[in-house]
Amino acid sequence: MMRRVAICAAAALAAAGLAACGSSAAGGSGSPSSGGPSSGGSSAAAAKTSCTYSGIQGSLYQKGALTVATDKPVYSPWFEGNNPSNGKGYESAVAYAVAKQLGFKASQVHWAYEPFNDSYAPGPKKFDFDVNEISFTPQRAEAVSFSNSYYDVQQALVALKGSPITKSHSPADLKKYVYGDQIGTTSLQFITSQIQPGARPKVYQTLNVVKEVLTTHQIDAFVMDTPTAQYIAGDQVPGAVMVAQFPSTGEHYGLLFDKGDPLVSCVNNALATLKANGTLAALQKKYLQIYLSVPTIQP
Amino acid sequence: MSTDPGAAPLGPGGPGAAPLGPGGPGAAPLGPGAAPLGPGGLGGAGESELAFAAGLGLGPQMAGSFGSGRGPRLLSGGGRKATIISTISTLVVLGGLAAVFWFAPGSAAFRHAFFSPSNMWQAFIGDPKKGYYSVGEAIWLNIRMFLSAEVLILILSLVIALVRQSTGPVLFPLRVLAMIYVDFFRGVPLLLVVFAVGLGVPALRLPVISTQSSTIYGIAVLTLSYSAYVSEVYRAGLNSVHQSQLAAARSLGLSQATALRYVVLPQAFRNIIPPLLNDFISLQKDTALVGVLGAIEALQAAGIYASSVFNYSSFTVAAILFLVLTIPLARFTDRLIERDRRRRLAGALR
Repeated sequence: MMRRVAICAAAALAAAGLAACGSSAAGGSGSPSSGGPSSGGSSAAAAKTSCTYSGIQGSLYQKGALTVATDKPVYSPWFEGNNPSNGKGYESAVAYAVAKQLGFKASQVHWAYEPFNDSYAPGPKKFDFDVNEISFTPQRAEAVSFSNSYYDVQQALVALKGSPITKSHSPADLKKYVYGDQIGTTSLQFITSQIQPGARPKVYQTLNVVKEVLTTHQIDAFVMDTPTAQYIAGDQVPGAVMVAQFPSTGEHYGLLFDKGDPLVSCVNNALATLKANGTLAALQKKYLQIYLSVPTIQP
Repeated sequence: MSTDPGAAPLGPGGPGAAPLGPGGPGAAPLGPGAAPLGPGGLGGAGESELAFAAGLGLGPQMAGSFGSGRGPRLLSGGGRKATIISTISTLVVLGGLAAVFWFAPGSAAFRHAFFSPSNMWQAFIGDPKKGYYSVGEAIWLNIRMFLSAEVLILILSLVIALVRQSTGPVLFPLRVLAMIYVDFFRGVPLLLVVFAVGLGVPALRLPVISTQSSTIYGIAVLTLSYSAYVSEVYRAGLNSVHQSQLAAARSLGLSQATALRYVVLPQAFRNIIPPLLNDFISLQKDTALVGVLGAIEALQAAGIYASSVFNYSSFTVAAILFLVLTIPLARFTDRLIERDRRRRLAGALR
């Protein structure tokens, strides 16, 4: 415990140096994405260790390895081939890029399975960080620590081709439809808080079920982050179409850490570097192909 | 069919006498107050009260003998000393448990994650604008599903049980079907049936059936699955009524159906009320499984809160609400069991 505190202080010092690192939005969505809760205490104190490879060993789940967690199954375009460890897909690539910045070789990155609903359980974490399209919210940050943004999120609307919602989706129209979404997602929150439909949305445990009930007409549409929505509409669900995307609400994805994990500031450091040298933008272009041609609608 | 209730030819006059029943506490004698042959049930209440009083009279004699066949008494009397000892031991046990929770290394985080009062309140009242729904309101959906399913189960399972108990050669295929039905739905995990029906039936694109709400599918699945269990309970109840009851009824000129209706079923039903209620307690909880079909019932609402806010206190709220639902029914079942036991043993223990 003491050791952790010491490292924590060290990390806080490092954090001071990159206080601004997350504030320049890279995705072009102009969202106030950053300013994520830099955990681990903000008072910069004396530091003996730094974010060097040897300096962070003490705060790792397993020495000599970076243990990265994600859910099962994993989806494109965040991962590819349902395999996090191939370095393909945006989140996998980001994880390996962060690992490289921290001084790990690719072979030192270990992947752990962590269901989303377990990731915020109290008690020691079985990973160094969790990368699973988890959005930062201030309330969530009371239970866990988030890194700064590695992706600025916009939500998009997916429906079946030819269904009424593809044609009439004015703010008033949008309230008339039956929505469905995966439990715990900010997409679901977007439905209840922004669209505010008349009928309660249906809530499912996995994205697979959401896709299934869309094809069987049990829901009119669902909301999903734009890259996932694009992937589902283009690839996974025949007959589905991405209707439009919603304006940014400032939402962003962060890597999830144990509350107060000193590693957060080192990872923020790495993310800042990756942002500054264009790596994140390149990866987004490669895997997410920011869909600028998508029409935007108001919820 | 001119049965004189006053004579009560089949019903024994005194409790525990049961000349027609197989006798013994495990059997199903024509208990006091049953008067199965007389639809009027004359004198039923009076006798029942008598048995009740007799049971109460036994109380003091059995005092202090925990587990002496006195039934599930939580607190057996036994004077001041016993009271003091039981109080101390209760305090020690509760204190020990509390200490474990309170002084565990992660206690503060644990308590915040599961028992944070502000989170529990937020989860209870809900706030759709913040992305989560009221758990307290969602429990109504569980109650509605439970009540609807219960009625349907009582009907369907009785039909299944009667088919399985039938003896006519014509009904052979139905008996086989009923057996397969019971085997199937008792053997397949309920969650699997929920998914199969809730996702499969809409995919069929049938006119009316495929466009029902997930709540309806949930009720259907609960009915299908629980009817298999409850039909077996019914069957046990029917078997617990001795053959001689039916024979006696038939000898009095009652038809098979009338004898079943007025002699066998009333006795069978009374015998199975405790196990039946037991199944219904279980049913109350299993309404939560319907959540996987998208209906926002209590557990689902709690899950939405937990994953929106990253705090599990909503599950505590759901647990409390389910307990509030099930505990009264559990106590009621206890009371029925106890009353039934008193009736049966009232004569034997004198």
